Amino acid sequence: MTTQLHIATDRQINAQAATAGTETALIMRLSGEAFGIAVGLVHEIMDPIPVTKVPNAPAFASGLINVRGAVVPVVDVRERLRMAPALPGPAARIVVLDVEVDAQLTRLAILADAVEEVIDIETSYTEPIPDMGAPWPEAYVRGVARNRGSIVVLLNPETLFRPDGGRSSNSESRT
Amino acid sequence: MAINEPSDSAYVLETMDILDGLEAQLLDLEQDPNPDAIDAVFRALHTIKGGGGMFGYRTMAEFVHHFEDAFDKVRDGKLSVSSQLVNLALRARDHVIAMLNCGGDGPDATALANSTAAQQLLADLNGLLGAQTVGRVSEKPTKLWKITFKLAPNALLNGTRPDLLLAELASLGATQVTLDGAEVPPLEHLDPTLCHLGWTVLLNTTEPRAAIEDVFIFTDDAELEISEVVADTKADIVDTPQETLQNGEIDENAVRRPSKEIGGDFVRVSSVKLDEILDQLGELVIAQARLSQISAESHNPTLAGLVEEVERLVTGMREVTLSVRMLPIETVFGKFRRVVRDLSAELGKDVELATSGGETEIDKSVIDRLSEPLVHMIRNSIDHGIESADGRVAVGKPAQATVWLSAKQEAGDILISVRDDGAGLNTDAIRSKAIQRGLIAADATPSDLELHQLIFAPGFSTAQTISSVSGRGVGMDAVLTTIRALRGSLDVKSHAGRGTLVTLRIPLSLAIIDGLLVRQGAANYVIPLASVDECVEFDSAEHGRESGRTMLQIREHLVPFVDLTQAFNEPTSLERSRRVVIVKSEGLRLGLVVDDILGQNQTVIKALGPFHDAVDGFAGATILGDGSVALIIDVAKLARQVAIAHGALRRAAA
Amino acid sequence: MTKTVLTIDDSRAIRDIVASTLKGAGYRIIEAANGAEGLQQMRSEPVSLVIVDLNMPVMNGFDFILNARKDPKGAGVPIVMLTTESKPELRAQGKAAGATGWLNKPFDADMLISVARKLVG
Repeated sequence: MTTQLHIATDRQINAQAATAGTETALIMRLSGEAFGIAVGLVHEIMDPIPVTKVPNAPAFASGLINVRGAVVPVVDVRERLRMAPALPGPAARIVVLDVEVDAQLTRLAILADAVEEVIDIETSYTEPIPDMGAPWPEAYVRGVARNRGSIVVLLNPETLFRPDGGRSSNSESRT
Repeated sequence: MAINEPSDSAYVLETMDILDGLEAQLLDLEQDPNPDAIDAVFRALHTIKGGGGMFGYRTMAEFVHHFEDAFDKVRDGKLSVSSQLVNLALRARDHVIAMLNCGGDGPDATALANSTAAQQLLADLNGLLGAQTVGRVSEKPTKLWKITFKLAPNALLNGTRPDLLLAELASLGATQVTLDGAEVPPLEHLDPTLCHLGWTVLLNTTEPRAAIEDVFIFTDDAELEISEVVADTKADIVDTPQETLQNGEIDENAVRRPSKEIGGDFVRVSSVKLDEILDQLGELVIAQARLSQISAESHNPTLAGLVEEVERLVTGMREVTLSVRMLPIETVFGKFRRVVRDLSAELGKDVELATSGGETEIDKSVIDRLSEPLVHMIRNSIDHGIESADGRVAVGKPAQATVWLSAKQEAGDILISVRDDGAGLNTDAIRSKAIQRGLIAADATPSDLELHQLIFAPGFSTAQTISSVSGRGVGMDAVLTTIRALRGSLDVKSHAGRGTLVTLRIPLSLAIIDGLLVRQGAANYVIPLASVDECVEFDSAEHGRESGRTMLQIREHLVPFVDLTQAFNEPTSLERSRRVVIVKSEGLRLGLVVDDILGQNQTVIKALGPFHDAVDGFAGATILGDGSVALIIDVAKLARQVAIAHGALRRAAA
Repeated sequence: MTKTVLTIDDSRAIRDIVASTLKGAGYRIIEAANGAEGLQQMRSEPVSLVIVDLNMPVMNGFDFILNARKDPKGAGVPIVMLTTESKPELRAQGKAAGATGWLNKPFDADMLISVARKLVG
């Protein structure tokens, strides 16, 4: 599927879909795994640009980029999800999101190996994370959906982007 | 005569205040002509006259001048205070109020000044003084001059700026400028560093010929001709800076339009809109920098010319926009008179507030946030610093204490100071409080200077009892936090028995600053230019030792330095000829060692956001001309870190 | 943009006065104690105005002016020499060497600021 370069942020679409039982998610690839994030949060998708490192910054947010004249922090989602770091390939993209951080609407950017498609997910078909020792701290993940036979991990924007790191619960135990 | 409310300009309001009080002062003077009372009247007249000249009430100022002169003579003992003098002064006061209500210079004010009543007043004053003609208020005659000049060919190389010469002429009056390009050689023979141009300027001015000659005082090697144009019809010349007639003809009857009014109208603008304008301007500055960068790389002369024009326009807009938000700090100072009056009464002390530098301009948003800290500092002075009237007399001080509030501009900062002539900081009380709060050991012997700094500790207060004013522990630490949030700094100096001086230093502009661009490793950083003292080469600066640490020797001083690679936890630099940027912060000088210094740039400050706020050492980020993000170094924080980490550093002379 | 003034004088007192006066007028100041240091400073960062004393060790004012004008970084930079009333011929010499203007010692704050504004704005 072709990647849209710019997705107009339209929280309405998502809100309506959610009440109707479906939610629209943007599918991104990180180290081969498919991750989904509510499309209503996406401001735009850009080709990678050089990141300015911030000295002494937390590993989770180590750099800044210029998005249309605004200074935007780059959040290392891999680090949060405890995935190994990897160099971006030719399909890599920067996904710019508008999320609530500390009760303030904040623009931030994440680096994905690839951005694939936008799908509708039936919320009633979302499953909890299987108890199989998946590495991601479950606090950052809302659940798992199936997309044409493969798994998409749905990210939780409310916890994933918290500057203080949120909870780093052990993924093996589930309440 | 009742005092009306004319325009709402600050000068008018303040002058009305003075005139208000002047009546009582004159009546008191009549009863008891003591030197203080005479001085007070003189100072009031002096202030009104001085302000009048500045704020567009020149006619009124000239009128007041006669009376100021008279009271100056009274001060000198050359004229005695009589009922007659007081009567004249009271009548003159009424007249001044009328002139103030005119709204500024113009036909109404002139008419009033030339009225029979006013003239009679002056004549009567004359009679008292036994002086010669006091005179009608006359308009200085304007003359039309024709100035032709052609600079020496090497004038530009030698630093002469024709644009500034033209601007200086324009400051004398209305001008019409014509360019003479006849001697410019064809392009293939043109040496762009030489000056081939000449100008003819028509100038309408009241200034004497000497003022015109003064403009050219340094260009005595230019071909210069100054002649007075005697025309039958005195045309009003309008400034036409853009329009120049290429063929050398001058139209002396160009346009008839009244000359610019001094004073002008005011418009009310919402601060929100001003903020929006400033935001947009910031974006414009960034976009223009990118444009300049691309143009520089494209080697397209047409583009380059246009881009330069855009840059000039943006810079102009920046200056105007930033100045729109600037208000004289007098608007805040004015409030404090009441504060001091009320506090003095409440605390039973006799305190006078003296201010200076009220005309210093400061950004509106900064003024708003400064109010509280300043009030707090004044409260501290009155409550803690200033002794009771009896106590003061007992140590030989005048019973009335004074609090001085002053403001001035220094490079890119505003300095505001609050000074009192009280007892100074009570170091004993501070020490015992500090020991009590566990801030210092009981047997420690900190210096007075160090004790002074302790008043900034959170919740610190040496007040024995909590009055409505002090002792609540919302102390200097809150003031310091507010000031630091404005990217400013605080300094306190105190002399036991003599008083205390607290100085605030705040950058002029919060949003757009001049920055010094430096490179460390592969990344660029911006250092606010206002903090930069100078730049030297690292190796050639000799090293000395002090307190066991290596320092740089800069002329007479030893300066500590910090390598940015260390501050930023990066690998050691392998570059051979590194540079040092000497910065100054809160009285400390510090050298920042970097790989290279790239130049200056206009820096639009962008906040760092929630993920990086906690990272020490950066005041924000900005976008450079090449589109990359550069961090702005927080010099004050870095300096404090160095000071803390390495103990007491020698404070360089400011 | 803030304008930078380079003050070159072997007398610290003069440098201090120049610095504090011009800072109060909104300029930024860098200093040098002789002509050679002055050239170094001028080469290391762009300056809007130079105020230079004529009588200095290591390299005097004249030589500074001559060298500054030969240097690409010095072309077009206004240079003001500090002169004494008693030797007016030095002014012509300085001008010939490439100075833009002059200021007689002793000078007061107003004179200094007006010369700076005249040449730099």
